[in-house]
Amino acid sequence: MQVHIYEEQTASLDFHKLANYLKEKLPSFSVEIREAFFAFFKPLDIARLAEELARAKVRSLTSRDFSFEPLPGEIAYERRRLEDPKSKAFGILYDGFKLSKIMLGLIPEKERTMEHIHVVFTNQLFGTWEEGDGRYHARVSVYGFPSLISTTGIVEAPAKPREYYLLKRQYSALGFGELAAALEFKERYKGRFIDYDDLRLTDVMKGYLMQAVFYHLTGDPFCEDPGCRLYNAHWQEEVIRAQLESDYEFCPFHQAVLVRVNYLLLKQGACACPRPQFPMGFGFIGRHDRPVDGRPTQSGHAPPGKVPGSV
Amino acid sequence: MSIFYPVSEKDVTRAIVRGFLRQFEEYAESDAIIVGAGPSGLMAGRELGRMGHRVLIVERNNYLGGGFWLGGYLMNKVTVREPAQEILDELGVPYEEASRGLYVADGPHACSKLIASACDAGVKFANMTVLEDVVLREGRVAGVVVNWTPVAALPREITCVDPVAIEAKVVIDATGHDAEVVRKLEERGVMKAVGFGAMWLERSEDLVVEHTGEAFPGLIVTGMAVTTTYGLPRMGPTFGAMLLSGKKAAEAANEALHKSPAR
Repeated sequence: MQVHIYEEQTASLDFHKLANYLKEKLPSFSVEIREAFFAFFKPLDIARLAEELARAKVRSLTSRDFSFEPLPGEIAYERRRLEDPKSKAFGILYDGFKLSKIMLGLIPEKERTMEHIHVVFTNQLFGTWEEGDGRYHARVSVYGFPSLISTTGIVEAPAKPREYYLLKRQYSALGFGELAAALEFKERYKGRFIDYDDLRLTDVMKGYLMQAVFYHLTGDPFCEDPGCRLYNAHWQEEVIRAQLESDYEFCPFHQAVLVRVNYLLLKQGACACPRPQFPMGFGFIGRHDRPVDGRPTQSGHAPPGKVPGSV
Repeated sequence: MSIFYPVSEKDVTRAIVRGFLRQFEEYAESDAIIVGAGPSGLMAGRELGRMGHRVLIVERNNYLGGGFWLGGYLMNKVTVREPAQEILDELGVPYEEASRGLYVADGPHACSKLIASACDAGVKFANMTVLEDVVLREGRVAGVVVNWTPVAALPREITCVDPVAIEAKVVIDATGHDAEVVRKLEERGVMKAVGFGAMWLERSEDLVVEHTGEAFPGLIVTGMAVTTTYGLPRMGPTFGAMLLSGKKAAEAANEALHKSPAR
């Protein structure tokens, strides 16, 4: 099994630590760190890719209408970002599954197999549509082929402590913008949420990387135990508890799964993955059960959507 | 004993009319027309003026400066984040560091210095003037149609005062959240603004500067008009992005002016 981790070059993330962590947990895995996704898979037609990315932008949180024609300025912005992998994309929300689909189109055929796990770290902020309340929600990660993990999403998607929203309301009543509330909140409640350039980011991302790997191995990235790294956290405080403060890394069940996976992989050889036991989520979009790449799934059934960390 | 030199009322009137008409005639064809005299429009005008271009700023109000006189909650302190304090340095505006990377200055001092700097750069103003339409020629924005603000504020049936058109090689929309020039293109069915996007405010200043530029042939958007055009997050009362966006708009306009077909 080969895991390809794509760097996000603007975040204070230690990718070697992440890779070593993965090797420690799954010794038979081959783990490779690659440069940023769009730098590694240099698109032949950059203009077309820029337009596709501009079309993946969520224009309204309450609409799934993507029939718009992107403005030339939006395409130019995406092009500049593609030409400079170190650029930041804060503030624009993309549809996570559209983003994943665009990336899938760049992965060569030989790496689109069950033996390859692609995990893309990006500073792009993405969301997924929630049928329940009919709006987009920002996400930390979207698991699929490839899996995406957002270093912006980890700051923006999980809800902040409730004091933040009270402070925001107070500031709003006084006529101040959200920025002022955010600045004061950060000053007052430092440490209670993950922030940009947070020194704890690498440790936090270990859990999200494991969620991506579990999704590929078992079809389910999540755990209901709030102390397990696979916990689907919706609040910043839950992220911190699951990834940083818990007394254990994985709950007994998932620890046992890890042991079992390692046993099977070592016994059968790294390439002889026990596929029948592992309902892969290859190619599926969230809970709508539509294939990401437009092809039938190889597993023959659809796992539920795996989109953690919503507000 | 008389202090001032004796002149008659008619001389005062003639001086005003002649001065105004001479300027209006000259600027009926400008290199750049900027709609909106807020911080981004003033900054864009200042930079273009310093590059040697003929610039006219159209402003609907009598006063210039837009919201730059005040910060939030009608308090007259304005804030900028690093590196925008470098522009305050350029303008000669004193400021204090409020916290790391955040600077605070007196709104009246900053605003008046920016206006003065634009004037010093040769920028001319048509204040109390509103945008009524855009001039479109061969798929490009080639000017604006304007009227007096009081006329436009009255019912058309009462006033019956037609607007006039003024031309420019490039037009800059610096009308803030309203993005009025962009909206006029929408009314013509040639462009569609995105509207306001989701709120990820902390980084929205970067995005405004990033997206500043030509949004339609002959039309550059700057300042808060950028957020409306591209569906970027609304911003609070911080002005760094306005100043830097204005500067970037001037660079884009300068580039467009060099590419612009001679008329």
